[in-house]
Amino acid sequence: MALYRRARHTRLVVVSLVMASLVTITLDYRGGESGPLAAAGRAALSVVGALQDGVSRVLDPVASWFSGIVRVGSLKQENERLRQQVRELQQERTRFIAVQLENQQLRSLLDLKESLGFRGVAAQVIGESVSNFEWSVTIDAGSSDGVRKNMPVVSGGGLVGHVVEVAPNTSVVQLIIDPDSAVAARLVNSGETGLVEGNRDQDLRMELVNPDVEVLPDEQVVTSGYQGGVYPPGILIGYVSHVLSQPGMLTKLVAVRPAVDFSSLEFVLVVTER
Amino acid sequence: MRRILSWTAIVLTALVLQSTVFARVTLVGAKPELVYLVTIVIAFLEGPTSGAVAGFTGGMAVDFLLNQPKGITALTLTLLGYAVGTLRQFVVTPSPLLPVVVAAGGTAAGVLFYGLVSFLLGGLGEGAAYLFRVALLSALYNAVLTPLVFPVIRRVAEASRPTKVFRW
Repeated sequence: MALYRRARHTRLVVVSLVMASLVTITLDYRGGESGPLAAAGRAALSVVGALQDGVSRVLDPVASWFSGIVRVGSLKQENERLRQQVRELQQERTRFIAVQLENQQLRSLLDLKESLGFRGVAAQVIGESVSNFEWSVTIDAGSSDGVRKNMPVVSGGGLVGHVVEVAPNTSVVQLIIDPDSAVAARLVNSGETGLVEGNRDQDLRMELVNPDVEVLPDEQVVTSGYQGGVYPPGILIGYVSHVLSQPGMLTKLVAVRPAVDFSSLEFVLVVTER
Repeated sequence: MRRILSWTAIVLTALVLQSTVFARVTLVGAKPELVYLVTIVIAFLEGPTSGAVAGFTGGMAVDFLLNQPKGITALTLTLLGYAVGTLRQFVVTPSPLLPVVVAAGGTAAGVLFYGLVSFLLGGLGEGAAYLFRVALLSALYNAVLTPLVFPVIRRVAEASRPTKVFRW
């Protein structure tokens, strides 16, 4: 009897939770960005953003170390012979390079800000998306710093993405490599426009390009910008990698290598005024 | 109360670690699904009710951090926690590999279910090949992490279990 009651209790709990999930999905669809769940999302972002900030500051060297192990696998054998001798020097060098890189990134950010004439808020990346199906980063600037939804985000290299979620002290930026991202773009040499879509960790895809236009390798691709659009014109998106389209197609498909290295993104600039 | 706080701390830790340290330590481009792993381990140790509740809580926390329809991860993890907790009751093997196998299988099934629901709601733009690749890699990653995560959660579960008082 007790066993039966327990099984019934479990089923009741599961059915309630499934119903709650379905209600959440429905409310989110119907409410959109102004619904009651949007406020809950901002609250969750504030709490987790603060934790991410603290944890990434403390554990960043650990993550870099693990990340380094993953990347230098091919060089391991060669390095093994010298590792013991140069360990201390390497540690010092690593610290020096990290500071130099940080300096370089901040300088290029400042140069970009001055050259494009934007006003913006500099921010540090404190976390990345928890999902394997979303390419976004969390930054340590929010509505209290003047950041608003849909503001463009750039780095020293070029266009990073745009703000999709804002909490008081943190924001979420959708990267241009996210498959849901689409940016109106222009080929610098020909002036031809198209739409650049994210393609995860592969080259971006520039679609809707006139098939008669000659596209040059390494040609710059910049934002085209239009009235009421998210991105201002002239921000570097990347360089032409190769042309994917087949003869006879109505439009040309161009692979674009992003100008920004998204695997080592640290500092960004949120464009608050154009 | 102590139990609720313990599970909340574990889920929150998994969430923060996944978006900081493990976001950079990827396996052929895929991150581990730590919240899935925590849900599976809790369900494995504590049964279907705790598994479903932990899954719902963790999934809802993940949903509110994503720019995707909210509730899909909560639905996925609720069902995953319930399924793993229920199946566990029928498996009696003493093999130490069982948690690893369950973590891998559960993660793969969970990710595929998530992808299916997202697709039905028009939210998955990555394609089936990518979905299967992520399901496989994150399952593999979670299997590797299980021997590290399982003992920690088991210890927390044992410490937070209410002490039984026998009256004669």
